[in-house]
Amino acid sequence: MNKKIVSGLAIAAATTLALGVVVSSPANAAAKKSVTLAFQGPLTGPDAQLGQDQFPGAEWAIALYNAKNPAVKINLIKADSQCDGTVAANIAPGVAANKAVIGVIGTSCSGEARNSFPAYKAAGLTMVAPSASAVSLTDPKAPDRGFPIFHRVVAHDGFQAPALVRYATKGVTSPKIYLVDDQTTYGAGLIKYAIAPAKKIGVAGTDSVPRGTADWTSVASKVKASGANVVIYGGYTAEAAKFFKALRDGGYTGILAAGDGVNTSDFPDLAGKAADGVRLTAADVPFDSLLTAAELASFQKITGVKVPGLYSATAYNAAQVFITCIEQGKLTRPAIQICVKNTTFTGAGGSKIKFNRYGDIIGGADVGGYLVKNGKIVYDAIA
Amino acid sequence: MNFSVITTQFWSLVLQGLALGLIYSLVALGYTMVYGVLRLINFANSEVFMLGTFAVLWVEIEVLGHPVTAKPLAGFELVYTLVIALVGSMIACAVLAVLVELVAYRRLRARGAAPLSSLISAIGVSIFLMETMRMFTESRPQTAPRLLDKWSFGEIAGANFRIDTVLAIISPIVIFVILDQFVNRSRLGKAIRAVSLSEENAKLMGININRVISLTFLIGGLTTGAAAFLYTTVYENTVFNVGFNMGIAAFTAAVLGGIGNIRGAFYGGLALGMMEQFASAVLGSQWKAVTVFVILVLILLFKPNGLFGEAVQKTRT
Repeated sequence: MNKKIVSGLAIAAATTLALGVVVSSPANAAAKKSVTLAFQGPLTGPDAQLGQDQFPGAEWAIALYNAKNPAVKINLIKADSQCDGTVAANIAPGVAANKAVIGVIGTSCSGEARNSFPAYKAAGLTMVAPSASAVSLTDPKAPDRGFPIFHRVVAHDGFQAPALVRYATKGVTSPKIYLVDDQTTYGAGLIKYAIAPAKKIGVAGTDSVPRGTADWTSVASKVKASGANVVIYGGYTAEAAKFFKALRDGGYTGILAAGDGVNTSDFPDLAGKAADGVRLTAADVPFDSLLTAAELASFQKITGVKVPGLYSATAYNAAQVFITCIEQGKLTRPAIQICVKNTTFTGAGGSKIKFNRYGDIIGGADVGGYLVKNGKIVYDAIA
Repeated sequence: MNFSVITTQFWSLVLQGLALGLIYSLVALGYTMVYGVLRLINFANSEVFMLGTFAVLWVEIEVLGHPVTAKPLAGFELVYTLVIALVGSMIACAVLAVLVELVAYRRLRARGAAPLSSLISAIGVSIFLMETMRMFTESRPQTAPRLLDKWSFGEIAGANFRIDTVLAIISPIVIFVILDQFVNRSRLGKAIRAVSLSEENAKLMGININRVISLTFLIGGLTTGAAAFLYTTVYENTVFNVGFNMGIAAFTAAVLGGIGNIRGAFYGGLALGMMEQFASAVLGSQWKAVTVFVILVLILLFKPNGLFGEAVQKTRT
């Protein structure tokens, strides 16, 4: 799959180059009629739902723009990096080599973002991420920071982790928290920022379990032995489903909670009964709550998605950032980068978006608390 | 370090270690049987396991019509559903294992290829199977319906005797006893042992080598299929690359016990399952793989043929 994309992009890039050489003068003379944006995130793979939930937001924003019949149309291509840093490192050079691409809407996962940086930095390709929330990505002191090309329209885990701890322990008498991460850039980062606020409440124990682990019974035994009544997992849906099942089957009756990596619409299916009552957070509010009835109908018609998924609002905002710059006539990679750094954008629901020097939105954002009820994830309250 | 887990959860960890370890043992048999006769590692065995887990899902969901959201079954319906799923998985794995032998081994052997060629062709088959399943499932994890409600017989000393755990302990033991008897007592079992001791001499005695090799792959496939059924019943999920971690664990178990040795596979799997449970409980899950492999290296330093390597000459499959 990835090889296909890479080779496809390579061929596309080679063709563009070849044509550019052969018909250079007429091509330069003709007005540039379209530009390309790439959506990068998991579209297949264990955590595909994360990207599948987000893509329609970007797709809709661009469809609305193109429907206005502008001078410069926008093509949207997909780059599937499966929420996997290794895959991202393989496909990012292909995206960067495609000269038509002037911006990347992505990535969804933090590991993907980090491993895409080398290729995109070298190519001067600007990224605006809908959900990559690891703190290190915009930390000026971190060796893996994305400066100057990386931006995100989501509050980072420095905001989300304390909110997750708050929401997980809400209404629990004498909470004892057990924290587990999945050793990824996102999961380990989230738990790292959750530990300090958790310690003020009471930590029963911690563990760090690699992705792909089948047997979670030993972790479940440990949680039971520790006497914890709140379990917080930093990681993604597929593993969380296995972990929470093992905990419930092992007789654990306390609170289960996780961050936005687990807040995907396929989580209740994968975790079955164990999903009931799971508390999830996300630095996002449901997109449909920001739309008018007519807008929602248009969204449904264009994307074929009935209920907008998590982070479709931020994916819409990320697309909106590029659209605004393209409307201003910024059609090259350097021009886009300057525009993204210096402009104040208007996102869904009229929110104002402005990036600081290192790519974070100024002002942060509220973190929403979600609950799983009857096999559906429903918005509950501000966490 | 968390030693308090040992005091409170010791028997619980032992029980879970047994269940996990015995599933490893069954897959380890797939490696060890083939190694016994061919002196080669069948790298495609991990993908035979993967296909088995999907066969279980297919039988339960498509053939018997229990959707993922189905309610747990009870009584006779539960028993025959599980038996059909088990048999389906075993048949699928056995057929696939024999096919792997035909495609990746037999032709190369007939043409006198170097043994390493078969190793590579087996890896090729393995990658082919994994990538095919990746495309079919778009790499998404699949959930099995919970047909077996996880009720418990009760708790003894903190160990929860849950039906799926008990099933995952008893069935492999039954399979091992049957297999052990078969290899040691039946004519075909004797033929397998003869080939494993000396292919040349077995041929001189009139043993059909190709038939024995196919039979070995078939038996390895059957046990791997049983493992795939137990895995899917206990963990209720699978994914296209589920065979990778399982393959490494089972291969480790086979080496630990002494590869080529049926009883070695049994005890190797048990030892591995226990080590994993206790390492991840006491040191933390991030140290599980490190601990297991440090212990494996230490054991191989002192017993290069594995724990039961001494017995290899006598009871070699």
